[in-house]
Amino acid sequence: MARQDALQGSLPLLVLTLLARRGPLHGYGLATQIETMSDETLRVEEGSLYPALHRLEEAGHIKARWSTTDTGRRARIYEITARGRAQLESEEIRWKAITAAVGKILRLA
Amino acid sequence: MSWWSRLGNVFRASRLERELDEELRFHLDERVRELTDAGMPADAAVAKVARRFGSPLRWREQSRDVKLLPWPDAVLRDIRLGLRMLRTNAGVTSVAVLSLSLALGACVAAFSLVDALILRPLPLERSEQLVYLAFPTYNAERPEAETFNDPTLVRLRDAARGKVDLFAMSTQVMRPAIFANAAGTKEQIRTQYVSGDAFDRLGVRPALGRAITAQDDDVPGASPVAVISYAFWNRRFGGDPSIVGQWLTLEERQLQIVGVAEQKFTGIEPGRPTDLWITYAMYNPRAFGNFDFNWFRIVGRVRENVRFEEAQSILQAAFTSLRRDFVGRLGPNASPERVERFLSTPLYMRSAGNGPSPLRNQFEQPLWILGAIASLVLLIAGSNVANLYLARTAAREREMALRLSIGASRGRLVQQLLVESALVAASACALGLLFANLAAPIVVGMLTPADDPVYLDLRLDWRALAFAGSLMLLTTTIFGLLPALRASGVSPLNALKGGGRPGTRASAMRPFVAVQAAFGLVVLFVGSLLVISFAKLSSVNPGFSSSGVLLLSLDPLRGIEKEQQRLGLQQVLERLRSVPGVQSVSSAEYNIIGRAWTHYIRIPGTTLNTIEATMAPVTAEFFETMGIPLVSGRTFTTAEMNARPSTAIIVNEAMAALYFGNVPAAGRTLKARFGPDSDGDVQEVVGVVKDARYDLRKAAAPTVYIPLRLNSSGTIHVRVSGDPTSLAARLREEVRAAHPLFRVTTIREQSAIIGQTLLRERLLAILSAFFAVVGLTLAALGLYGVMSYSVVQRTREIGIRLALGARQLLVVRTVIADAAIALLLGGVCGLAGGLYLARFVKSLLFEVTPLDFWSLALPIGLLFVAALVAAALPALRAARVDPVNALRYE
Repeated sequence: MARQDALQGSLPLLVLTLLARRGPLHGYGLATQIETMSDETLRVEEGSLYPALHRLEEAGHIKARWSTTDTGRRARIYEITARGRAQLESEEIRWKAITAAVGKILRLA
Repeated sequence: MSWWSRLGNVFRASRLERELDEELRFHLDERVRELTDAGMPADAAVAKVARRFGSPLRWREQSRDVKLLPWPDAVLRDIRLGLRMLRTNAGVTSVAVLSLSLALGACVAAFSLVDALILRPLPLERSEQLVYLAFPTYNAERPEAETFNDPTLVRLRDAARGKVDLFAMSTQVMRPAIFANAAGTKEQIRTQYVSGDAFDRLGVRPALGRAITAQDDDVPGASPVAVISYAFWNRRFGGDPSIVGQWLTLEERQLQIVGVAEQKFTGIEPGRPTDLWITYAMYNPRAFGNFDFNWFRIVGRVRENVRFEEAQSILQAAFTSLRRDFVGRLGPNASPERVERFLSTPLYMRSAGNGPSPLRNQFEQPLWILGAIASLVLLIAGSNVANLYLARTAAREREMALRLSIGASRGRLVQQLLVESALVAASACALGLLFANLAAPIVVGMLTPADDPVYLDLRLDWRALAFAGSLMLLTTTIFGLLPALRASGVSPLNALKGGGRPGTRASAMRPFVAVQAAFGLVVLFVGSLLVISFAKLSSVNPGFSSSGVLLLSLDPLRGIEKEQQRLGLQQVLERLRSVPGVQSVSSAEYNIIGRAWTHYIRIPGTTLNTIEATMAPVTAEFFETMGIPLVSGRTFTTAEMNARPSTAIIVNEAMAALYFGNVPAAGRTLKARFGPDSDGDVQEVVGVVKDARYDLRKAAAPTVYIPLRLNSSGTIHVRVSGDPTSLAARLREEVRAAHPLFRVTTIREQSAIIGQTLLRERLLAILSAFFAVVGLTLAALGLYGVMSYSVVQRTREIGIRLALGARQLLVVRTVIADAAIALLLGGVCGLAGGLYLARFVKSLLFEVTPLDFWSLALPIGLLFVAALVAAALPALRAARVDPVNALRYE
C-alpha cells in the first residue's frame, strides 16, 4: 500500500520521463516499461495509471491519438509535448531536491 | 484540453465512456495475452490481471471526471433523471405545471401591460430629457389641464430659449380624410398637428422622404405638408414608396405627403399611435394669437446641463407674466379670489420620458392592483406545488436514504431535487408565456371602446422574458427548497429500517396550507370589494333613461351663414321626427355624460359665495328625449328658443336648492349673464327638472339648461323604440336627405357611452373576480391534496383507533383538526392583510367600505364553503377506513 502511495505522487514524473526518452507509447506499454525498468519494484495498481495519464493530457503535458497496432487493435498512443518537456525538467529538479533532502536527514539524523 | 472541449464532453458523455472503456480494455487484453502466451490458463490469467488492475469502472469514472466538467455533467444527469421522475408521476406533475403556468402567465401578462403602458420609455434618444407642461384648473372633474393656446406657447418658448426647447403637439383627433387613390371615400384617421421643429427636437428621422421642418412652420397656412407614420404607411398603402408626393384632402383642405416617419416612432402617447402629422401653422387661423383657443400640448426637451428646477422656474415666471397680461379676459364680473387664483396658477413641468398619457392616468392604479393580485395567486399556486413536492419526496425517502448511505452529499441530493422543481417551473414558465401572449391583448381590448381602440405594443421582449425568468427562479427557490431540504435531511438508518414519520410529513405541509388560506382570503377580499363596487356603480340611476337613445355627431359646418345653419338644423330635426320608430328628437351642445362648460353664478345675498353651475344648451324636447322628468314648470317654448336675448332657463333640483333654498324655483328669476348671445342680466326660471348625473360616481352637479342657439351643430339625441342599432343607418340617410350639407360622422348609443365611463371599474371587477376564482380553486385543490395525503399516511393509525373502538366522528375530527387550525390561522392573517391592503383600492371603490357586512361575509363565506368541499372527500375516506385492511397494510 505505502509503496503504491509513494508511486502515485511520482507517476507523472515517470510517465513524462519515459515518453521523453522512449518516444510515444500507449498505456500498456508505459506500464510494462515501469515494471521492467524498476525490476518489478514499482508495481502500480495498474489501472491508476490511466487517470494519471488523462490528467497529464488535460494539463497539456502530453497529447494522445488513436492508432492501430500491428495486431489490428485500436490503441491510444501518448506523446510528450513541448510544455511537457519543460514540466519534466522542473519535476526532475524538484524530485532530486526532495530525495537529496530526505537522504541528508537519513544520514545525519 | 480546453475548457470548451470539456464542456462539450458533457454532452458526449457516452462516447467518452466508450473510448475510455476501449482504452482500458486494450490494456487488460494485452496483459491477459502476455500471461496466456507464457502458458497460464485463460481464466487464471484473467483473474490475476483483474486483481492487479483494480476496478476498471473506478478508473474509468476517475478518468471521466478528469475529462469533463463535473458540475454541468451532474446537472445534466439530474435533468435526465428529473424528467424521468416527472414522467412517471405524470398526473401530479401536470396538475402542478398547469396551476403554476396559469399563475405565471397571469403575472407575465400583468407585467407586459404595466411595462407597455406605464414603465417603458419612449423609443427616442435621451427620452429622459423630455417634458410636458400642465397646470391646475380648480375644476372638480378635470383637475388639471394639459392644453395650451398660441400666445402662451410663443411667450414660454421665447423665455426658455437656450434652456428648454418647447414645441407644440396637438391632442390627437380622428379626422376624416380622402386619399388620392380612394375614389372619394372618407376614412377616419388619427391626426396630430405638430410644431415645425417637433420632429427634430424629438429626434425622429424620416424613413422615406422628409420630416416636417421648422421652415414649414414659418408662415401660417403656407406649407400644406403632412408626414405619415410607418405603421400607417404599411397598413394603408402597403409600404408603397410612391406615396411620397401624393395629395390628400383633410377636412376640406389639401395636403401633400412629403415623408414617412421612422418605424419606431408612433407619436408620444402610448396606446394611441398617430397616423398623420400636419404642421402647426396649418391649423385653424382663428387659433393664432387667441388666448381662448386651447388646443395643443406643450412638449419640450431640456437641454444638456440644464437643471430641471432652473427650467421650471423660468417657465413659471413667463407663465405668470403672461397671465398678468391677459387677466382682462376674466371679465369685469370676476370675483377677486378668482383673479387671484388665475394669476397665481402654478405651471407644472412633468417628465415625458414615457409619454404623457391620459390612458395611463386612468388605468395605472388598476393595473398595479391587478399585478399585485396576480402575484398573490402565484404564491398560492406555488404553495400548491410545494405541497406536491413534499408529498412526492416523502415517497422517495428510501431512494434518498440509499444515496446518502453510499456517499452522496446532502448538497448533491438537494441539487437534484431543485433541478426537478426547476423543470416543473420551466415548463410552467413556457406554458405561462403562451398564456400571457393570448391573455394580454384580451385585457387591452377591455380597456377601450370599440370605436377608439388602443394599440399597446405587447410583444414579449427581453424585459418580459427576464421578468418571467426571474419569477421562475424565485418559484423554484422558494417552493422547491424547503421540500428538498426536508427530503435530503432524512436519516438513512431510519429510512432503510422502513419506519416512516407520517405525522411530521403532513405537518410540514401545514405552513403552506396556512399561506394558501391567507393569500386566498386576501384575493377573495379585494375581489369582493371590487365586484360589489362595480355592481353598485352600474346600478346607479343616472337620472335619465339611457337605453334606446342614439347620439348623432355632425360634421362641423363651414362656409354657410348662421341663419342658414339654424334653418338647416331645424329641417333635419323635423325630418328625423317623422321617421317611424323615432319617439323624440332633440339637440344639445354636449352630451350629458360628455364635456360641458361651467359658469360661476353668485348666490344672492352673499358677496363671495358662488355656485359652479354646469351649463347645458339644449332644445326644448331634450328632457323628453332623455327621459328626465319635469318636477315643476314647463320646458322652453318656441318663442323662448328663438328670443334674442334669451332669458329663459331651466334648472335642475340641485341648482334650485343651492340658489333658491327651500323656495320653489319655478317662475323666479336668477341673476347671471351667460355670454354675448344672452346679454340679459336676469334669467327667468321656467321649469325645474330632476337631477341627471354627470359622473355616475358623484352627485349631480347643479345644472342650468339654456336654449340652444342652433348655430352650432351640437349632438342630435334621438330616442327610438326597439333596437337602436337597426335604425342607425336609416337615421344617417335621413339626415343627408334633409339637408346635403349636414353629414353624420358618428352614431353612438347612450348606454355604450355610460358603459365607457365604467371601463376601469369593469376591468377591475372582471379580472379580480377571475383571479379570485382561480386562487380559491388552487387553494381548495391544495387543501384537498394535503388532507388526502394526510389520510393515506395515517391509515394505519386510523385503523388502530377504529379497531380499538373509537367513533368515526372522532377519527374524522382528528384528521381535519390539523388542517383546520392551519386554515383558521391563515384565514385570520389573510383577513388582517386584506383589511390593510384594502386602503390601496379605496379610491376605486364606490359606496363600499372594507368593513361592510357583505364585504366581509362574501370572502369568508366563499373560503369556508371551499374548505368544506375540499375536506369532504378525504374526511369521508377517513371515516370509511376498514380497520382490518388498514392493519394489514404494511
